[in-house]
Amino acid sequence: MTLALKSLKSFFPIFSHRPELVYLDSAATSQKPQSVVRAITDFYEKENANVHRGLYELSTQATQRYEGVRNRVISLIGASNPKTIAFTKGATESINIVAHGYLKKNLKKGDNVLISAMEHHSNLIPWQQVCEETGATLEVIPVNEDGELVLKKLNTQLNHRTRLVAITHISNVLGTINPVEEVIAAAHKKNIPVLIDGAQSVGHYPIEIKKWDADFLVFSAHKMFGPLGTGVLYCKDEFAAQISPLNYGGGGIKNVELSNTVFLDYPHNLEAGTANIAGVIGLGAAIDFIQQLDMNETTRHTGELSTYFMEGLRSLGNGRRVGNPKNSGSIISFQIGSIHPHDVAGFLAGSNIAVRAGHHCAQPLLESMGVPATVRVSFSIYNTRDDVYKTIAGLVELKKFWS
Amino acid sequence: MKDDLKKLYSAIIKEHSATPFHFEKPGKVKNTIKAYNPICGDRFEVYIGSDERMVNALYFHGYGCAISKASTSILVKTLEGKSRKEALELCDQFLRFINKELGSNEVMLSDDFLAFSGVHDFPERYDCVLLSWREMKKFLESGAVAKKTLRN
Repeated sequence: MTLALKSLKSFFPIFSHRPELVYLDSAATSQKPQSVVRAITDFYEKENANVHRGLYELSTQATQRYEGVRNRVISLIGASNPKTIAFTKGATESINIVAHGYLKKNLKKGDNVLISAMEHHSNLIPWQQVCEETGATLEVIPVNEDGELVLKKLNTQLNHRTRLVAITHISNVLGTINPVEEVIAAAHKKNIPVLIDGAQSVGHYPIEIKKWDADFLVFSAHKMFGPLGTGVLYCKDEFAAQISPLNYGGGGIKNVELSNTVFLDYPHNLEAGTANIAGVIGLGAAIDFIQQLDMNETTRHTGELSTYFMEGLRSLGNGRRVGNPKNSGSIISFQIGSIHPHDVAGFLAGSNIAVRAGHHCAQPLLESMGVPATVRVSFSIYNTRDDVYKTIAGLVELKKFWS
Repeated sequence: MKDDLKKLYSAIIKEHSATPFHFEKPGKVKNTIKAYNPICGDRFEVYIGSDERMVNALYFHGYGCAISKASTSILVKTLEGKSRKEALELCDQFLRFINKELGSNEVMLSDDFLAFSGVHDFPERYDCVLLSWREMKKFLESGAVAKKTLRN
């Protein structure tokens, strides 16, 4: 059954508690549907037990549900083996696991890691730090003024000392949808593994991890209608055995002696300590919710809202989008004349319109685009044309106030 | 437009952000105070040309929202020509007024200062108002430069 887009706001309890809210900050975190909130509450109310531990029905059930979510995840991202899926705290932790638990031991002085200039700090700092620790260098794919990757020198940038490529699928600032398949193909010609940051795309855009042949994929549940504090690391089979855990503790082990520990295989070796079981179950419910939607329809809907917003922004006269990517998701960064982004966001907040202002955890990108900060709107399935209309009306009022 | 927002962006604040006081880098700078908010990227430098009569020849430059720009402009205008002791007392009063430790009737503050009372409805903007003031207070409290100057 496909849920009708028209009535989607009613699936998200926050909008019945705050009917006046215009929420245009889904790129920061999405709102949660009732079914996700319910799944988490149900777990705590009716099914709470630890996983992989107890020999009683409740624990067995919890284990089955927790483990079952790996199957839900592979169905969402086009993978085939549930053992490729590790649960983490979020995309940031997933990247740190790859950086410190896999890459660092393969990285030597003179090696390099290739990222792009449009990465979120979480897909930049972990690589920068392991490079610093090992004497490797961080190479950067530049971004043009439209906010697109400049790939003409990619083949030279990928060289025999490149140990990993890490790029985002969709820019959290500019909305650019990157040609990840092309980058992966180019890197694989030289046997270089590729990590894709899917924080802004998974759950919203089709992901075909097997077809792309990506080696690592990271994302967070909370940006795709799931709970906070839960994320995923997908790791292709051939790299799974090469990832060491960053956390050690209860769980994750085959055998422990005072002088030695034998660890479980990936992904369980990464999941030491009591897992965020309710979070993982919430992620499963979020995937169920997403799969009841028609993704062609939802991307068309958010795309139409973006177009409608851009028409309004242009009609203001002093509105300017930062970047102008040809292939763009439903994230738009903009400026209104010389009015500081915080004053724009603060003004809109006065009309219950939630937008983001600042550098969006991507300072190097903004620097390369020549702006210190932007206002950002990001559209999701629950947004409507009325939301866009109110936002543009707010911007018209703002312009009047500052003229 | 809501009343609380109108109060936040009062005429005084709008005016100071549109035409800030001493908004330039002077030729002679004795001390530079850097006020930077890494969360939002706002960045001002306050230049002190002379510090015998504390903050003589006070200027500033940089980038920030209307609130942080106006508050830095008012800092420059207010502290200009004050002794270090007076300046420190004013910084302290302003910080305590914004942080609601002192009411408007307990402080010897000008209308320029009181214009920021609107921020009390917007706790997320406290950092904008206080950005340069906190750094100026730290500078004044450190006292290192003043002592050296006096001894010389």
